[in-house]
Amino acid sequence: MNSSLRVKRLALPLLLLLLGMVGVAWGVDGAAPQPLRGDYPDIGISSRAVVWVLAQLHLFFGALILAVPLFVLVIEFLGIVTGDRRYDDMAREFLKISLVGFTLTAIFGVILTIALFSLYPQLMGYLARVFDGQWIVYLGVFLLENIFLYAYYYSWNRLRKGGQKWLHLGLGLMLNLSGVTIMILANAWVTFMMAPSGITTDGTVVGDIWDIMHGPLWHPMNLHRFIANIAFGGAVVGAYAAFKFLSTRDPKLRAHYDWMGYTSNFIAILAFLPLPFAGYWLMAEIYAYSQQMGITAMGGILAWLFIIQAVLIGTILLAGNFYLWSGMSRSEGATRYQWLIKYIALVLVAGFMVWVTPHTLILTAAEQAALGGVHHQILGPLGIMPAKNIAVNLMLIATFLSFQLYRRADKVATVPWAGAGNALMTAIYLVAIANIIFVGVYYGYFTNTVYKVGSSVIQVMSTLVVIISGIIIDSLMFRNATRLPSHWGQVSDRSQYALFALPIAYTWLMGLMGYVRSSVKTHWHIYGVMKDNSPDNYIPTIGYAGNMVTLVTVLFLLGLLFMFWIADRRVKS
Amino acid sequence: MSNKKTGGASLIIIWTGALAISLLGFYLLDHGIMSMQGLPLNLDLTPAQ
Repeated sequence: MNSSLRVKRLALPLLLLLLGMVGVAWGVDGAAPQPLRGDYPDIGISSRAVVWVLAQLHLFFGALILAVPLFVLVIEFLGIVTGDRRYDDMAREFLKISLVGFTLTAIFGVILTIALFSLYPQLMGYLARVFDGQWIVYLGVFLLENIFLYAYYYSWNRLRKGGQKWLHLGLGLMLNLSGVTIMILANAWVTFMMAPSGITTDGTVVGDIWDIMHGPLWHPMNLHRFIANIAFGGAVVGAYAAFKFLSTRDPKLRAHYDWMGYTSNFIAILAFLPLPFAGYWLMAEIYAYSQQMGITAMGGILAWLFIIQAVLIGTILLAGNFYLWSGMSRSEGATRYQWLIKYIALVLVAGFMVWVTPHTLILTAAEQAALGGVHHQILGPLGIMPAKNIAVNLMLIATFLSFQLYRRADKVATVPWAGAGNALMTAIYLVAIANIIFVGVYYGYFTNTVYKVGSSVIQVMSTLVVIISGIIIDSLMFRNATRLPSHWGQVSDRSQYALFALPIAYTWLMGLMGYVRSSVKTHWHIYGVMKDNSPDNYIPTIGYAGNMVTLVTVLFLLGLLFMFWIADRRVKS
Repeated sequence: MSNKKTGGASLIIIWTGALAISLLGFYLLDHGIMSMQGLPLNLDLTPAQ
């Protein structure tokens, strides 16, 4: 780490502290301020656009540096348990990639803070007052995170042997605890703006800091972001591994980066599988808090972004599955399962088509007359949630099947009950699929809404039963299994492009859905309490939002290339 | 998979058993989840109230 970056790190907490104090000073006791149009600084360009770009970049890099140390810790632990030095080396390389991310997160954090306090002084002053001393706690944890990061990274070789390794693991644990604490503190600010708690309707603080933080959306947001960050982090480091794999012809290095890419994809897909359910929980809580807010998200103009979301999630699932299918070529045993791939692909494509089918079409009068209404007679029923629920659950089950087949490809079970185990696993798949389709169709189309919502929980649980029972059955059935030859590095170059597709789709998706989450507040800074009277107090057009999300995605990807370049130089040195 | 050969009758018993266990398990799952939400399974196509 060079000295200029260290100076920036030290300058950051001091600057944030200063700004926090200024913010506190701006606040006044009592109700929330109600700024008028003239109270917002006019900088010639949209203040919202400036904050949008900065916040999103800060969040992208923040998500990355939260996630990578988490699986670095797990991989290092695996290295200790298995005694395989390769795990330890890979964990360190993962951390090395993310180091620049810490600096970039801090830089964007500082610029974002300055922009927020400059462009929205009343809002930030009020938030500083509501959250009171929490700014100091945040800064303290931020400092701790940096201390643990340096200690964890630079002591890696020194604390490698014997009991010292556990001490090193402890440093990693502390790094992760501080990272997660930062995330949940920041989440409390965001969810307070969406669903405020601990205040009266005019914004007067009546609760303690716990009442304020502990709003109805806080836990769902914590879970959703935590899981999403892990999937995102896995996808990003997977792209690094793919880049390294493609840029070398050395078989040993290709084997190493192939393994690294596989591990990254494993993390990205495994974390992705429960993600839609966490998203459902968040959305359900939004609806429960304010039905109007929920309808704005999923029934109004923003609903169209959920169609784009479907395209992006479809891309992630197709790319992730394609990578697993390609990876089967590493093992000779994979031929036993290849016949199933076409059926998995069929489920994925069919599910994808259902998911992207919109409910209400934007039509001209002539088109509407030709169609006989705004809903297509055959495709119309596929536009509502019961059909989407069936599609997404079947796609997740199909993805887990790919994953399970991949894991089985280089093994032959030796336990005497292998036949019965396979029969049970197959039966669980078949009954779960039938159950998901049945409750989706029956409760979704033939009974009333209360059953429709209630049955979606059954579908989620059916998918989780498949995943959990698959992991349990396989871990027992393939204990002491015969291993078939498997060759790391023996994978097509084409498969590596799937690893590039994943972080791009994830980044776009996070940008898009983050925008939706923020936009559901409509013309409120703090929903129902403090109105946004700035010139940008409206939901922009889909095209504008799409361009903004694309801009931040491209900027982040450029930042990522910079990160890879630095990491590559470190590896070479 | 296991190299052990299993007879036809055993295969039928194993697969029937596996299906029966799965069906029972998912029925109980459905029943439990709907009960927790205060809803009956309502499988007789009666419009729900």
